[in-house]
Amino acid sequence: MNRLVTVAEMTARELLRRRGVLLLLLLMPLTFWLIRRDAYVGQSVRSLLLGVSWAVSTAALFATGAARELEPRLRLAGYRPHHLYLGRMAGLWMAGLVIAAPFLLLTVLDAPELRHGGVAVAMLCCVGVAAPFGMLIGVLLPRELEGTLLLLTVVAVQMLIDPAGSGAKLTPFWSSREIATWAVDHTDDGYLARGVLHGIVVTALLVAAVAAVSSVRLRRRRHLRQLPTG
Amino acid sequence: MNADEWLRTLAAELHQRRVAADAARHVVVEAATHLREDGRDPWLVLGPPGEYAAAISESIGPAPRPRPGPVRLHAQGITKRYGRHTVLRDASLTVRAGQIAAVVGANGCGKSTFLRICAGLVSLDTGQVTVTGRLGYCPQQGGTADFLLPDEHFVLVGAGRGVARGPARRAGRTAARQLGWEAGGDVLTRHLSGGTRQKLNLTMSTLSEPDVLLLDEPYQGFDHGTYVNFWDQLARLRDQGKAIVVVTHLLNQLDRVDLVLDLTAATRGERA
Repeated sequence: MNRLVTVAEMTARELLRRRGVLLLLLLMPLTFWLIRRDAYVGQSVRSLLLGVSWAVSTAALFATGAARELEPRLRLAGYRPHHLYLGRMAGLWMAGLVIAAPFLLLTVLDAPELRHGGVAVAMLCCVGVAAPFGMLIGVLLPRELEGTLLLLTVVAVQMLIDPAGSGAKLTPFWSSREIATWAVDHTDDGYLARGVLHGIVVTALLVAAVAAVSSVRLRRRRHLRQLPTG
Repeated sequence: MNADEWLRTLAAELHQRRVAADAARHVVVEAATHLREDGRDPWLVLGPPGEYAAAISESIGPAPRPRPGPVRLHAQGITKRYGRHTVLRDASLTVRAGQIAAVVGANGCGKSTFLRICAGLVSLDTGQVTVTGRLGYCPQQGGTADFLLPDEHFVLVGAGRGVARGPARRAGRTAARQLGWEAGGDVLTRHLSGGTRQKLNLTMSTLSEPDVLLLDEPYQGFDHGTYVNFWDQLARLRDQGKAIVVVTHLLNQLDRVDLVLDLTAATRGERA
């Protein structure tokens, strides 16, 4: 447990020390909010949630890339693969909540007519999905430029796809959009339930995928036989 | 520098030159007596402590090294291909406790790949590696986190073995001091010079108290003094019974190692 907490803590420390990056990460959701603010508030909320998702995914992608050289030696220092990927994910979830919190406050102050509990749950889904999603791209695509372009593509598809279409449910951040509809348009609770279920399932699938890829990448090779001393 | 400081420096210099502990103690006592009787500045009486220690070391020689212990690393028949390109063919190396092995060869001959295979970080096509005890590995570059402090690196590595934060920090600072670096500051790793970052890299690899230490050209960016300290520290670790494999292209230090594995295509094989 101590190993997991230490990795989580160091991940959060690293991320929160990148002040310039943090500012830019905060800028994107803010811009998304402001750009649609004069029109229908629902568009602002959906854009904001997409901005938070993009920001946390990007942070996860870069954190995973930065740890690529460090993790093998930590593995030799006594860490198991699950300490490393779960610890990093926990750190990213913490950092994601720090990024999301001011925007939740912004919706409370700027759009009092919303169901703010729903906005909070939608943001939780964004953060919950975005951290393992960014990590998965990071472990699959070692070059950050390729990873960033893939993230951009996913977010663009998410933004443009018809949310009522069946294909929309295959996109990772559909949950936050569904919950946002409940929070903004005061629709029935089915939207909330579907959104939460989608968020949980997608998060679980992404965590499992990160676990599988990381375990293979950080596995102990079969040619190495380690014997105890004495 | 007063007499006490001069004597302390002399003792450290003798230790670094691997003068036997008994002989070193005797030399320090004799020097202290001489300085007390003379009463003048020790620099005027006996000169710089480093030069005095060098003269002593030259006259009485280093302490005899302990005999190599049991086999710690046995790499046999290592062959590695990337596509159609064979990087390593049937490379073998056996290192015992208390030995330093150098892996040498031309650029691109697979030195780093060989070390990563020994560390179990890269798969191979044929062969086997047996390691007895704990492994430590220092990569050629990377392996540190830009936005963490050196102390946080020590905590991170220490936690892998269940070492508490305080002792991990102290162990890291002590190991760093052996390389002439005071690691306790609050400077982020990204602001460290290339050489100091390599000291951090090297310090991290020794922190988990490995029985087998794999070092991939860890001295890049070191100044001359640190480079000398590095080889002295390797000698100390060897005397403590560690098995060390160091990738190097600096052939002028091969007199300080016990084994050489030359991976250059024309001369693959082990020679002692």
